[in-house]
Amino acid sequence: MLRSLLVPRVAARSFKQSSSLPSVVAPASIARLSRRSYATETEQQDLVIIGGGVAGYVAAIKAGQEGLKVTCIEKRGVLGGTCLNVGCIPSKALLNNSHLYHQILHDTKARGIDVGDVKLNLTQMMKSKDTAVAGLTKGVEFLFKKNNVNYVKGTASFTGEHEVKVNLSEGGETSITGKNILIATGSEATPFPGLEIDEKRIVTSTGAIALEKVPETMTVIGGGIIGLEMASVWSRLGAKVTVVEFLGQIGGPGMDAEIAKSAQKILKKQGIEFKVNTKVMGGDASGEKIKLEVEAAKGGKQETLESDVVLVAIGRRPYTAGLGLENIGLETDDKGRMVIDQEYRTKLPHIRVIGDCTFGPMLAHKAEEEAVAAIEYITKGHGHVNYGAIPSVMYTHPEVAWVGQNEQELKASETKYNIGTFPFSANSRAKTNLDTEGMVKILADAETDRILGIHIIGPNAGEMIAEGTLALEYGASSEDVARTCHAHPTLAEAFKEAAMATYSKAVHF
Amino acid sequence: MFATKVLRASAAAAHAERTPMIKFLGKRSVPANIDHTPHVHPASPTSELPKDFTSSSTSFSSYRQQAQQHGPLGRSRPADGSIGGHSGHSLGPVTPAKGEYFDRSELPARFHRTPIDLSEIDAIETGGATLVC
Repeated sequence: MLRSLLVPRVAARSFKQSSSLPSVVAPASIARLSRRSYATETEQQDLVIIGGGVAGYVAAIKAGQEGLKVTCIEKRGVLGGTCLNVGCIPSKALLNNSHLYHQILHDTKARGIDVGDVKLNLTQMMKSKDTAVAGLTKGVEFLFKKNNVNYVKGTASFTGEHEVKVNLSEGGETSITGKNILIATGSEATPFPGLEIDEKRIVTSTGAIALEKVPETMTVIGGGIIGLEMASVWSRLGAKVTVVEFLGQIGGPGMDAEIAKSAQKILKKQGIEFKVNTKVMGGDASGEKIKLEVEAAKGGKQETLESDVVLVAIGRRPYTAGLGLENIGLETDDKGRMVIDQEYRTKLPHIRVIGDCTFGPMLAHKAEEEAVAAIEYITKGHGHVNYGAIPSVMYTHPEVAWVGQNEQELKASETKYNIGTFPFSANSRAKTNLDTEGMVKILADAETDRILGIHIIGPNAGEMIAEGTLALEYGASSEDVARTCHAHPTLAEAFKEAAMATYSKAVHF
Repeated sequence: MFATKVLRASAAAAHAERTPMIKFLGKRSVPANIDHTPHVHPASPTSELPKDFTSSSTSFSSYRQQAQQHGPLGRSRPADGSIGGHSGHSLGPVTPAKGEYFDRSELPARFHRTPIDLSEIDAIETGGATLVC
């Protein structure tokens, strides 16, 4: 009885010196007890995956399908990582429903629909978001069972090159050894120096998808995809939103300058205010309103912005804290990314890294591709990810989507190219939908006509970019796309017409 | 008859004018020869791998040459005065001289006594009674 009561406390005790204590218990026995833990030694796994986000869970399922003995360790308590829990999925639920609300409020009369009193029920909107998230995360857990993936809830850290210690969420710890180890610990929002995130008034994207009421005013630091999506949500729900962007264009890296300009114009028309070429000097959250000191990026005009909520959306950084990388001699680069080779191997070749915590864009679909490829490298010695054909989508309305190179990049590399554009205002389906803002822009090599980049702003751009990615993946020419029959009347016809305009002429414009 | 021939010829000529750039690849298979030696990752911002990357990943012995634990593990490294730079034998005996004693607190932390708190002392002295009463 006494032993069972004493052991857990002794086992959990630290080794800190306390010389004043009498030697009541023999040091040797204490040391023996200290080594004792809750560890239940499991058999060696073929693969241990640290992180159950998009990268980790896809890798786990794929590994299970390939017949590997696989364990996936996740500390959040639910699978799906940032994307499913506090990122892509909940934000899309809010974007879709806030768009519907906004449309019902402002865009029904011309369509012949008279609506009565329209009210926002934010609590229900958040519940709807949570239902979507819960359904998907449980779905992943089901897939784990279906594919024989061993799921461990806890925090993992390296104790050896093949060994991982897990502090279990339910208490105690265990140790897992694996022939291969996959690190997929993802990323976290980059904090803004001088602004303390409380996820209530000063929020990251995590707090921005869970505000309890619609703020009167909101300032978004960072005009990238996350910032603009959240700005759209809260602007549609009634907040007066100002976006502060350090660079001269919104949309973040990769977005074509012409498309970014068009997006800014459309979003401004929707009521979002922009301050580009503007830097945030500091903030003060002590008062009722949060005060942000901003000034022109190149110095000069200063201004104070007051708002109820500030969203910090200046980017994300790799998350590897607590992994114990130092225990096995692994290091990160100057931006915190884990260094890997072409087969995702670290300098310890049985330890691989995929997803946000290593090179490449921090996108869920990129992580998924890497997950499949990494498992194929382990099982078959060969995997495939084309980093030149990874699409990006901004789910505002209209959506913005692109894949491949943009005009700025082609100019910088002195590549000769042809441009073909087609506006949605000339597309029959967009006309019938009364949703005609935007265009499709295709860039193709001037000599070979091979498509180099596709940039879309318009309704359903996020779905349409799949065709562009396929074209890019298979090295299609703009003529290949233009000569492919597209159904009428569809928005996708704008894509075909832009391809026609690239190598010849569009018919309907 | 003649008209059909002309039509067929023109149709063939029209197809010959353009060859789609998309090629049918068929079922994918693992290439016969793959170079598994570490190369820079295609999305890496730098154009080369760190120096310790290529050598250490080939074998445990080459990893050991690079590894550090209280100094370099590799024996080929010249003695540089750092910990591990000299063999233990060359440093002489570790036993204390006659009349000299080591105190436990002078040893590295892992050899120190583990702290125990008063409630535990009480528990032991009372045979566990303080825990259950």
